[in-house]
Amino acid sequence: MRPALLMFLYALAVAWYSPALLARLSATGMSARLALAAWLTAIASVLTSLAVALQQLVAAAAAGWHLLAEAFCQSVTGRACAPPVYRSAIIELPLAGAALIAALTTAVLAWRCGRSVQRAQQLAHAHGAAALITGRRLPAASGTVVLDVRQPAAYCVPGRPATIVLTSGALALLEPEQLAAVIAHEKAHLAGSHHLLVAVTRGLSAVLPGVPLFTRAPAEVTRLTEMLADDQAARRSGRPALIAALLALGTGAPVPSRALAAAAGDVTARVQRLLQPASPSPRARNRLALAAVTVLLAATPGLLTWLAA
Amino acid sequence: MRGFGELESVIMHMVWDRGTPVTVRELFDELSQERSIAYTTVMSTMDNLHRKGWLDRAKEGKAYLYTPTASREEYSARLMREALAVGGDTEAVLSHFVAEIGDPESEVLRSVVRRLAARRPE
Repeated sequence: MRPALLMFLYALAVAWYSPALLARLSATGMSARLALAAWLTAIASVLTSLAVALQQLVAAAAAGWHLLAEAFCQSVTGRACAPPVYRSAIIELPLAGAALIAALTTAVLAWRCGRSVQRAQQLAHAHGAAALITGRRLPAASGTVVLDVRQPAAYCVPGRPATIVLTSGALALLEPEQLAAVIAHEKAHLAGSHHLLVAVTRGLSAVLPGVPLFTRAPAEVTRLTEMLADDQAARRSGRPALIAALLALGTGAPVPSRALAAAAGDVTARVQRLLQPASPSPRARNRLALAAVTVLLAATPGLLTWLAA
Repeated sequence: MRGFGELESVIMHMVWDRGTPVTVRELFDELSQERSIAYTTVMSTMDNLHRKGWLDRAKEGKAYLYTPTASREEYSARLMREALAVGGDTEAVLSHFVAEIGDPESEVLRSVVRRLAARRPE
């Protein structure tokens, strides 16, 4: 019984107190991949320790079951059965009840979370299929269609086949290398199955409302996956093209890459200097902290189980 | 590049471009000028599109006359509404390149862009 309680308390502590720390470590996004790993590990750690606690609770209830049966039998026959009756009434019965309720709740929540992820997938599938018929294929990029819509927009739709959707408004705003940056960004999302991470964390936040870790995770995971995709797009098409594309689609006005490329050097350098004074050590420190937190979160449930055994 | 649903898309765009009710035969004649394709393929594709709700059809003599259930613009606008719905279910699965930007941030970005554009690269 004690290990189950310990696991449960650990899960509560991580679910309530880790988000503030994780949010601080991932705020700058200077190590987006590690930060994403830390958030996902925190979620996995909480879910695993809850599952282990549940399993131990059920095991404890099952172990005490014969006492309950004995007590029931004795109360029916009317023989002397005082100690087991106390034991069963005070400990075993609530324990069995709690295990039953916890198991049923878990099953319902898991089912609902799965349903929400599945519904999201179906919606995406239908949307992608309709976009593939309605849009015109962009010959320059496979799996990309253009919808005849003035409003600039660009997004990707997971599925088979995965589709990148651009509007004609977006196409008109972007220079060729900016378009390449947008497509590289969306391809990074699709290749990394980022939508799944977002859908699962959103599903969890929907079925477990009010738990800080699950409430904050969807926004953080979304933000960090955007940054990851940005990193890949920047590697492919260069930072100026990506920044220009972000500004153009964000404001709805074209941004000439040439002007930006000339300006980006000193503006970027000044901003970066102000943001991270001195050496590259903040980044290394950030990585170290995130790695330490991730390892701790990953190892603790196992450690607790081992200590209990 | 021919891929998944490519023929469905090609046929829908032909139907939209015509703007008048069309038979399988007419589309087949047009299509077979640019690619080798079987009549039955065109027929079954249009049948599929009818089943999925993209095409309406009415019997005219021996053949069906097909019309789109909605214009290309209507379908595009519908998709865009779905894609841009905030808080909707699709928000979870469609990741946008940039989210809709609020007015203050947009104003800041606009002024950055103006300033950058004003700098003439040497």
